[in-house]
Amino acid sequence: MSYQLENTQRGEKYNTIFSKVSPAKRRNRTARAHWRSRLLLGLYLALMILPIYWLINMSLQTNSEILGSMTLWPQNLTFDNYIGIFTDSSWYMGYVNSMLYVAMNMLITISVALPAAYAFSRYTFIGDKHLFFWLLTNLMAPPAVFLLPYFQLYYSVGLFDTHIAVALAHCLFNIPLAIWILEGFMSSVPKEIDETAYIDGYSFPRFFVKIFIPMIRSGIGVTLFFLFMFSWVELLLARTLTATDAQPIGMIMTRTSTASGIDWGTLAAAGVLTIIPGILVVYFVRNHIAKGFALGRT
Amino acid sequence: MQKHYNKSRLTKFKLTTLAAGLLLASGTLSAQEEDTRAIAERLVDEHFQNSTLSREEQIEELMWFAKAAEPFRGMDIQTVAEGLTTHVYESEVLAEAFSELTGINLTHNIIGEGDVVDTMQNQMQSGNSIYDGFVNDTDSIGTHIRYGTTINLTEAMENEWADYTLPTLDLDDFIGLQYGTGPDGSLYQLPTQQFANLYWFRHDWFQREDLQEQFREIYGYDLGVPTNWTAYQDIAEFFSEHVGEIDGTKVYGHMDYGRRDPSLGWRFHDSWLSMAGMGSPGVPSGNPVDDWGIRVNEDSQPVGASVSRGGATNSPASVFAMQKAVDWLRDFAPPEAQGMTFGEAGPVPAQGHIAQQIFWYTAFTADMTDPAVAVTDDEGNPLWRMAPSPTGPYWEEGMKVGYQDVGAWTFFDSTPEDRRTAAWLFGQFTVSKTVSLEKLMHGLTPIRESDIFSEQMTEMAPKLGGLVEFYRSPNESNWTPTGTNVPDYPRMAPLWWQNLAPVMSGEVTPQEGLDKLAADMDSTMNRLARANVFDSYAPVLNEEQDPQFWLDQEGAPKAKLDNEMPQGTTVPYDEMMEAWMAAGTRQE
Repeated sequence: MSYQLENTQRGEKYNTIFSKVSPAKRRNRTARAHWRSRLLLGLYLALMILPIYWLINMSLQTNSEILGSMTLWPQNLTFDNYIGIFTDSSWYMGYVNSMLYVAMNMLITISVALPAAYAFSRYTFIGDKHLFFWLLTNLMAPPAVFLLPYFQLYYSVGLFDTHIAVALAHCLFNIPLAIWILEGFMSSVPKEIDETAYIDGYSFPRFFVKIFIPMIRSGIGVTLFFLFMFSWVELLLARTLTATDAQPIGMIMTRTSTASGIDWGTLAAAGVLTIIPGILVVYFVRNHIAKGFALGRT
Repeated sequence: MQKHYNKSRLTKFKLTTLAAGLLLASGTLSAQEEDTRAIAERLVDEHFQNSTLSREEQIEELMWFAKAAEPFRGMDIQTVAEGLTTHVYESEVLAEAFSELTGINLTHNIIGEGDVVDTMQNQMQSGNSIYDGFVNDTDSIGTHIRYGTTINLTEAMENEWADYTLPTLDLDDFIGLQYGTGPDGSLYQLPTQQFANLYWFRHDWFQREDLQEQFREIYGYDLGVPTNWTAYQDIAEFFSEHVGEIDGTKVYGHMDYGRRDPSLGWRFHDSWLSMAGMGSPGVPSGNPVDDWGIRVNEDSQPVGASVSRGGATNSPASVFAMQKAVDWLRDFAPPEAQGMTFGEAGPVPAQGHIAQQIFWYTAFTADMTDPAVAVTDDEGNPLWRMAPSPTGPYWEEGMKVGYQDVGAWTFFDSTPEDRRTAAWLFGQFTVSKTVSLEKLMHGLTPIRESDIFSEQMTEMAPKLGGLVEFYRSPNESNWTPTGTNVPDYPRMAPLWWQNLAPVMSGEVTPQEGLDKLAADMDSTMNRLARANVFDSYAPVLNEEQDPQFWLDQEGAPKAKLDNEMPQGTTVPYDEMMEAWMAAGTRQE
């Protein structure tokens, strides 16, 4: 406080020397600038939040209100859209299915990618760089080209319409991504740490779990975030590989669009519920996100 | 002796056991039958009180299902349909009732229409069974008869399904059977739901004397149900430009949509061009040219869509129809309509500021009769009416008047026979007389004549704005889905919206858009023919020649008329209804 006061006082002194603006006016101006930036920030946040607000607003309205006049908040508040989703097993099972295969996919991918990324970051072997690059190119192929081969393959081995089928199909895209992200984090950990651990008598598994993984936990958190995002919103593979037992929520949402119009209310409610898992994941990895976007390459 | 005694004792024991077993078995059987009867009775009392059958007949029909399904008891099967009120009812009420009655664990999945088509295509192409039964629009009949993987229902009912076909199915009672029938007369798809597109207008506004007078003053004839496109255009102009406002609200004389979206294609290939008179007379399929403009030869083989090959997709009648679609959307519809899709534009007339719509789906009836909407009076009676759509200058007697969407049960040979048969039982259950009237009252999509003529529908009629009258008229059969001329619906439908979206937005002229569309359709048919994917009726394209050659001949494609906008004509609604009903009523 005293420091600030001093600064202000000094500022005023300088102002009286160099500026024609009186200290009172200047204080006003600072306050105005302060308000202006708050206003802009508020406006920015309002604009950012508006679509989500609109979605929530729609999800609490009846279809006739949505299609009638534009209302800023529900005139006839209704929870029917949510009740409909939570009481109809074919609706809520869509969420359960999606969460199941996303969780499976995250688990499989991370347990495959961790050792693979470690190998890329610690060992040199013939063609290692090429292999690493080749893995990345897998991400460039559009999922659509894999649709029919995947369908045929999973069908012939009896995995069609199972959660594991979708989880495995997503691995094709998620494993290279995960290896790439994790490799960056692992490479930033000095090799000397591995060596020190061996000298201290750590076995490799113990070292990996007790020392190494905690050092790259930001990387793992962020990797899981990306895996979730890809798997949660991916619809093309998921709907081709499933029918009834494992169909994703995105597929079920398509039933709101019919020849007698769109069931806007239910669609909005389903949309709101679809955002929630994403928000939860972001909340849990929020501290790692900044580091994650640097991908460990500091 | 001992041995003999033992033997006789053994025999006696065996006989006793057998007798006891038989007694027990018959006891179990009759107990089982009693259980089933109890279930059937409860289902009828709880869910299916409205039926054209007596309660006892309903129970008998349900008992037949339970008995026929015995070999499949405990089986898990899955069927699929798009999200319409009717199918939701089938999925929530009928599937559950069927499972309870038969012991077959059935899931009737509801997904988007596009997904149903994709999944079906996936099953057809890969030969792997995804669903055991599909409810698929009969627009795909041309696809089903050609690929050879769809079950021929007529043949199956005579052979492998002879014991599994409901004795009281009564095929003659169905109203849309012709749409699922191939050129060989065999049934491929069994209707379970249907709705039509009709003209829709604000009856209350049309009845207002001040508006009637004003209209007569400007146009020289009476404001009424338009019978040609000139009158439709005049009425659209009248409300948009001359009336302008009613009760302080801006009103429009036309509603349509123009967004680049698959639903844009429906409007045009379903009916728009044929309402203008592009095709040949004949229902359900115009012969030789049908409502997509595809010409077929005597053997039902497609020979071309372009005028240069004898088709009519880019004929003068089509160009006229497209030009009107563009002009009316621009001049008489609300400005936001240009950016809307079918689903967004559909509910707009219910908001109360649209005077008429040339092409309105009866699937919206239930939403439009909701007492909360602006187009019903205080008692919930509709202020609007539906009537046949006006026809264009190229239209002639005997041609289709509009579109009918018929969702029908479809089965594929890639589904294992037992599963397919179990699904066939459910399919029949959803259309059986025990449940069909109750289903009609929920979804307003009739499939049986006996239901349409039921007392219950007579009672509902005043609330439905003409729906019941429409279906009671024998003229209803002039509303038809896509016919057998289209060889591969899923592959060809996207060509329509992709080529016609730029026409609707004014980037290219109707002639340019339609020329491109016709050329694309020809090349797609040619490619499919070369790939040798069809089992029967494969396309054999005509050689290209000067379009004038075809235009000079009788019938479609028709040469350009000197006057495409003759004097507008209208009829009063009540008179039209009388004439409509005087066409005779359907035989009950």
